[in-house]
Amino acid sequence: MGPPMARLPDPRFATDCTVHLDGRAVPARTGESVASALLAAGERVLSRSAKYHRPRGPFCLSGSCGSCLVRIDGEPNRRACRTPCRDGMRVETQNGWPDAVHDLLGVIDRLTPGGLDVHHMLTRPRLANEALVAFTRRLAGSGRMPDRASPRGPAASHETFDALVLGAGPAGLSAAEVLAGAGVRLLLVERDRIPGGRLRAGLEPDAAPDGWPAEVARAVLSSGGEVALATSATSLWHDGGAPVCLLVGEEPRRTRVVRAPRILVCTGGHARPPTFEGNDLPGIHSGRALALALAEHGVLPGRRVAVLGTGPEPEALLARFAAAGLQATAVTTPVARARGRGAVRSLDLADGGRVPCDVVAQGAPPTPAPDLLRALGVGVDWDPALEAFTPRVLRDGATGIAGLYAAGEVARPGTAAEAVSWGRRAGEAARG
Amino acid sequence: MGKTILCACEDVTLSEVRRAFARGHRDLESVKRYTGFGTGPCQGKSCLAAVVQELLRLGATPAEINPFTPRPPAQPVDFGTLAGIDPDTLPLDEGVPVPPTPRPPVPASSGPVPERASVVIVGGGILGLSLAHQLALRGVTDVLVLERSYLNAGASGRNGGGVRAQWSTPTMVRLGLRSLQLFRSFAGETGVNVWFRRGGYLFLAPDGAQVERLERNHAVQRQQGMRTRIVSPDEACTIVPELDRSRFVAASWNPDDGVVFPWPFLWGYAAAAQARGVTVRTFTPVSGIEVSGGLVRSVLTPHGRVRCDTLVNACGAWSPEVARLAGVALPNRPTRHEILVSGPLKPWLGPLVSNLGNGLYFSQSQRGEIVGGMGDPTEPAGISHGSTLRFLSRFSRAITELVPGTAGVPVMRQWAGNYDVTPDNNPILGPAGPANFFQLSGFVGHGFMMAPAVTEIVADALTGRARDEILDRFSLDRFERGPAVREDFIIG
Repeated sequence: MGPPMARLPDPRFATDCTVHLDGRAVPARTGESVASALLAAGERVLSRSAKYHRPRGPFCLSGSCGSCLVRIDGEPNRRACRTPCRDGMRVETQNGWPDAVHDLLGVIDRLTPGGLDVHHMLTRPRLANEALVAFTRRLAGSGRMPDRASPRGPAASHETFDALVLGAGPAGLSAAEVLAGAGVRLLLVERDRIPGGRLRAGLEPDAAPDGWPAEVARAVLSSGGEVALATSATSLWHDGGAPVCLLVGEEPRRTRVVRAPRILVCTGGHARPPTFEGNDLPGIHSGRALALALAEHGVLPGRRVAVLGTGPEPEALLARFAAAGLQATAVTTPVARARGRGAVRSLDLADGGRVPCDVVAQGAPPTPAPDLLRALGVGVDWDPALEAFTPRVLRDGATGIAGLYAAGEVARPGTAAEAVSWGRRAGEAARG
Repeated sequence: MGKTILCACEDVTLSEVRRAFARGHRDLESVKRYTGFGTGPCQGKSCLAAVVQELLRLGATPAEINPFTPRPPAQPVDFGTLAGIDPDTLPLDEGVPVPPTPRPPVPASSGPVPERASVVIVGGGILGLSLAHQLALRGVTDVLVLERSYLNAGASGRNGGGVRAQWSTPTMVRLGLRSLQLFRSFAGETGVNVWFRRGGYLFLAPDGAQVERLERNHAVQRQQGMRTRIVSPDEACTIVPELDRSRFVAASWNPDDGVVFPWPFLWGYAAAAQARGVTVRTFTPVSGIEVSGGLVRSVLTPHGRVRCDTLVNACGAWSPEVARLAGVALPNRPTRHEILVSGPLKPWLGPLVSNLGNGLYFSQSQRGEIVGGMGDPTEPAGISHGSTLRFLSRFSRAITELVPGTAGVPVMRQWAGNYDVTPDNNPILGPAGPANFFQLSGFVGHGFMMAPAVTEIVADALTGRARDEILDRFSLDRFERGPAVREDFIIG
């Protein structure tokens, strides 16, 4: 286990509630994510992986990966990073025996250094194959079925707005500001409880003035629109002859089926995991997400932080971590492997160097997230420079699909300031 | 350590991706299916770019890295939440994804086509590939299988993997039993795992009419030596304790039915057939069929003409289109069928459960997902692969009613395939039109489970070894001979 994480000793970050991880009390802050509280408490291993039973802990902290699934209050496969803490919440690790930290089945990983060839292993004789099928079935799956019936969700409401803006980060806020200014009745949707997106991480303080998200929210309200916080845009479908978005709000639980003649997708990108040996070790995280947890909840991501990548964002991360009193090291050359058992302990560099660390912050830009756009027919292209698929979105946010616009890192990585201006252009295009 | 993990959800390593590519799984849809990358809880959000980078390093072409089809929902949603949506507020639609314009390029054919082949099979689904395998076992290896997309692109790669012998006629029971035997021996025979699990099938009857239906079938099945029993709700709940027993009045239980993982069957059949000399070409569509003197002479592909002695149409939902190329009209009506999976759960469900009242069915896959579908009575005929929110709400209402514990289980992915529906719900087998144009279609959503048994019979017929009565019973001209006996035990 790496050294326990902690919080900045600032009364603003005082904990006010307790969640329970496999029966252990974990101090937490109401409303912060379960993943954030667990990281602050040094709890890094939340489950074991599907085939090899490797330790798994949060990577992206933003709903893009599947590495923080836990059982929460009896319901399986919840994302710890998307679930806000409530006092008394019961969190259980998954797929470990006896638990995810001490999992004895971790031996599978050590016995299979070259991996498993699942399609061809033990196909005969029949008895061996039948034993394999029975055995792997026992190992498969992560969450257990709920012990009891959860209440069904509330009856969904059906609503129509003049415009639907998904994501209240720099691009979405800026688009919403333009539309609200033109009197468009819009619904601005943000999956977190606080608008701002990447601005909240504080890595680019000059991108927008403090208080801007709140200002936009007021403008949206005064033009007859609505801001839906803590609300997830689960997907876009095309039902009944037109696009439709299913919004799921937490606390209070609310299900909304929303249609709008203009949909602006500003949901940001997906954190990109590094690719080297041991890249899935707990303790390796999206740098931006760590900065956000530090800024809002004082979560110290470790004592020795290795920051991967070059450019303004890794530099801002280094400065931020150093200011919080951490030993921060820039890793600007290729990494050969991460070492550690249960959590990262050091990085071996391709040039032979070695960086001791207890946390790794991925500073590489996110990949675009074309999932929602592709649903409605937007094509994508492989961008060899970005090493990612980018959706076909123009500088003015148009997608070639009538009524569908996009802006910001959902389409292409860039600075927050670039996202602000792209969002403005998309808002103007949608305003007409 | 040693492992570089490209897909953390399904634990897919860099070397597994390399192995898949080396084995000929080059395009992203195939690599996804072969390695499992992108099929876990994150649905490819965090792994797609890394896998593509590696495939490009290995030499994949731009068309081969076209990203796999996006599947809703982009974020998981609980069955309980989806059950709160009234499906009547969502009229049926083509659904998503809407295909992009222009369509992305298609990968190049997996190899050149020969100038002639004794038997050309159009359709690289389970029927076409198992027939190729059966022909090869009988010494006929001059066989060419043409698949217009990747293996598993059609219904063979889109079904729920249920395999059963609980049918309503002696013929179908016989075929079902034989297929179950062949499914069981598949791994040993081909060296490819298909994860056949004999968990049984449990059909639930919500009312007296459905009980009568089960009892009629039960009598047929017992005559054929099956262990099927009609059980009370209490006994059904000892098999699946999570069921709400107030939702049904009786059930039919056969412990010998089961579920499989569908995808590897195609790789296994293709590899076994190719090892004996059969040629399989993916990404090779058929654009024309040349007929003269009452016989098919050749088929046209973008890569050239192939002369043949026998042409087999095994294209599932696309069979009418292909038959039309030879001037043959088939009565098949392709009809979309939607399906979904939940996130992976620890084992809790043994059998495949089906509710005869509403067409709901679900089982648990080897990986732990709840896999299920439910037909939509308003679904019109026509090929469609779109996914709808309407289906999610219909399915979620049905499953949370029957198994209330599922309300807190998130749905991970949905997709659709096409049933190849015939007027009497039975297949169309044997020559139609040109005397050497053999039909192998019309399996109405159960082609996967029937394929092993049916293709044995068809291979016997094509090689002149034996002629089973099903070739007469299921010939195309039965519809002209008078009323056909309808199979009434179609699910979903």
